[in-house]
Amino acid sequence: MSRPFHLAWFTSFKPPAWRSPWGGVSGEEWMTGEYYVSMVKQLERAGFDFIMFEDSSLVSEALGGTAEMDLKHGLHSPKLDPFPLLPVLARETEKIGLIATGSTSFYPPFILARVMATMDHLTGGRVGWNVVTSSQDIAAQNYGIDKLLEHDERYVQAQEFLDVVKALWDSWEPGAVVMDRETGHYADHTKVSPIHHEGTYFKVRGPLNMPAGPQGHPVICQAGGSPAGRDFAAQHANAIVATNPLLPRMKEYADDIRARAERLGRDPDEIRVLFHLSPVVGETEEEAWSVWRRTYGMEDPLQVEQTLAILAAVTSIDWKQFDLDEPFPQGLTTNGHQSVLDDLMARNVGKTLRESLTERAQMGPQTVGTVAQVADRMEQIVEDTGIDGFLIRAETGLSHTRRYIDSICFGLAPELQRRGLVRTDFPHATFRDNLLAF
Amino acid sequence: MSADPFHLAWFAADGFGVKSWGKTFSGRGGQDWADPALWIDLAQALERARFDFIIIEDSSYMPDTYGGTSEAYLKTATATPKMDPSVLAPLMSHATKKIGIVPTMSVSEHHPYGLARTINTLDHMSQGRTGWNIVTGSNDNAAKNYGLDDWLEHDERYDMADEFFDLACRLWTSWEEDAVVLDEATGTWGDFTKVHTVDFQGTYFSSRGPLNAPQSPQGLPTFVQAGGSPRGKKFDARAANAIISGVEGGPAKMKAFRDDIRAQAALAGRSPDDVKVLYLISPIIAETDEEAWAKRRRQTEFAEAHPEIGLLHLSRHSRIDFSQWDLDEVIPEGTTTNGHRQQLEQCIGKTPRQILREGFGQGNFEIVGSPDTVAAQLDEAMEEVGGDGFLIASRDLNRRYISEIADGLVPALQRRGVVREEYSHDTFRDNLLAF
Repeated sequence: MSRPFHLAWFTSFKPPAWRSPWGGVSGEEWMTGEYYVSMVKQLERAGFDFIMFEDSSLVSEALGGTAEMDLKHGLHSPKLDPFPLLPVLARETEKIGLIATGSTSFYPPFILARVMATMDHLTGGRVGWNVVTSSQDIAAQNYGIDKLLEHDERYVQAQEFLDVVKALWDSWEPGAVVMDRETGHYADHTKVSPIHHEGTYFKVRGPLNMPAGPQGHPVICQAGGSPAGRDFAAQHANAIVATNPLLPRMKEYADDIRARAERLGRDPDEIRVLFHLSPVVGETEEEAWSVWRRTYGMEDPLQVEQTLAILAAVTSIDWKQFDLDEPFPQGLTTNGHQSVLDDLMARNVGKTLRESLTERAQMGPQTVGTVAQVADRMEQIVEDTGIDGFLIRAETGLSHTRRYIDSICFGLAPELQRRGLVRTDFPHATFRDNLLAF
Repeated sequence: MSADPFHLAWFAADGFGVKSWGKTFSGRGGQDWADPALWIDLAQALERARFDFIIIEDSSYMPDTYGGTSEAYLKTATATPKMDPSVLAPLMSHATKKIGIVPTMSVSEHHPYGLARTINTLDHMSQGRTGWNIVTGSNDNAAKNYGLDDWLEHDERYDMADEFFDLACRLWTSWEEDAVVLDEATGTWGDFTKVHTVDFQGTYFSSRGPLNAPQSPQGLPTFVQAGGSPRGKKFDARAANAIISGVEGGPAKMKAFRDDIRAQAALAGRSPDDVKVLYLISPIIAETDEEAWAKRRRQTEFAEAHPEIGLLHLSRHSRIDFSQWDLDEVIPEGTTTNGHRQQLEQCIGKTPRQILREGFGQGNFEIVGSPDTVAAQLDEAMEEVGGDGFLIASRDLNRRYISEIADGLVPALQRRGVVREEYSHDTFRDNLLAF
């Protein structure tokens, strides 16, 4: 039998697929958080280890210098702050892990450390922090920063940020809270110490004005792709999230993370590597494929426009000038991220632009069929690549609906559970202990 | 004769920390302080009693002003530990329908964009019931947690608060009300012509904008503030919807404070009725007046037996170490601070023992008795002051005290017809400004 793996879900606090036939009233009600409350309950029943809220704080103007496409399709924005949502999700569930994103470029470390520690208490030891360094100057400018640090230096800063917040979480020693009714002693001041951090980027006195939560440190999640990012992830993360449609690249990434962890003196078994997957399941194979075509087939002009806008945002190229059914353009240059564009061109040799959009939208290896077929495929991927699990996402297209969530949670997940591949219970009290249990 | 209807709100002094432990009715308050259940119970009880709102006080540093060490603060769990209220607030609004929830967030610690975003999210999630208690940093230990040696000088902190407030308001209104169109035919979620950058360049802050989320139900959150100094009052008069008043000396002083605020609000071009002044009180209530007075005596005895507890707060707020004076030594004229000014000024010329007897920070005047007695006292005071209501504060917060207020005092006030029996609106601001 194959080894068990982990399921998680990737989303953000934004409108779900409001114009899908199954969108219901989600376009009007998403801001209250109720959509995500019902979602996370289903995920917990289905044995998901965690839900992760990606985040950013900008209205993108990457396409044509205006916010038109970003707002028309609701791409980068709107997005509400995931921190206030997490405690409510925790209140409505008992076991599932809850991860929110926080940027090391925009938060003072004291606030981030304190909010995370507070949430670890509020969730009973189920909170995680997705560490991002942020990459968009237009977001930095919202925070009064003209230009972000260069890519690799952002990781140097993030490293110092992590050092500070970890020191703050550790600033109350175990046993600091004595709670002696006789002497009226609540806490022992000799076990609570300032950190007196003075570094290149941050100066923080400490101590934290509260003891850390049940986990001590929240689960650290990261998505490093570059060499600097991979080192950072290998050194700090318990959960690493990555995207690649190609199985050999997935294996290479998972192996590389383990190797880096060992080099950095860390036990690789403290890390779980999860890859994005957007499975499409149907009652029959035919139905699944027809759903897949509507979801990722790039037949709907609005969907094409939306996916082109995403591509434009990351490459600063206006893709509307190209024919969708011609081979993917080559030899392009950009004022934006040339390396991203080069990688994109290299990956799409032999594909049409339309086919590349399909690949982009489904974020991971194509996985379509009956629940049994999709389960077979997931089992095979884990066997072939050595990854630790999947991060289900339904961000683009029209699939972020309650119906899709139900099809995964009550169709696919039970099949995986019957095969003994996905957990049916959470034996431990904290998120980290459950995540690292297998 | 009775006062015009007035407002009731709750000031959770000492924030999201250990509310009560080691006393007769603390329950498991010492062990379970990090569990939000007490706060959810508080919100539901006060909604049942038709309170306007609950403020969750906050500060983010380890105090050590008293005696130059954190020992006494940690020993007594005074002002520490304290957790972040911005993630407690959504749990309180999630469990209620009408009451306003007001986390405290400091303009000295947050960037306006991050704060505007968090508050906007809270107002969406609560469907228009979020307030912001605007504070400026005062204790230098907090400044040191944020990379600074000390905060700006007292009055300049309010200049910075003014700028922060202006920028945050621009961000909250950077999406026009009808920017979200949800047009299925054209697949248009939002109309970019109705979402604007703010391009703010100030002395202390800059921000490009727009906010990355639509306007929330209230548009602007309801603003609460507690400035008692002349500069603080000036800020209040232009910004606040509700003012926390810690003025001492009884109804005459309270009236003077309110009259001053209303005059300044008018000067700032606002309707004075849009600024509600609420006075901090800590009523001591029991079934009979005798029992209430006996309770009051026990509290005084406790305060005198543990003088440091009362002086811990005073020290951290004022940044003056009150352990330097003997209990019977007069606080000399000319003592000054870069911390909270109004509080210190009210101490000068008194001895620490006098301050403790008067119950510093425990209210504007002595309110002790049965529910009916206290209701009559509050009614009478409001009649003299002219408005706008009270903020109940209790450092030793336990469920029994909550019930004494929500199920004892409030029904007595309702019988007199001086507090609301039903909410008339859906949003916090509309309810606050309804009378």
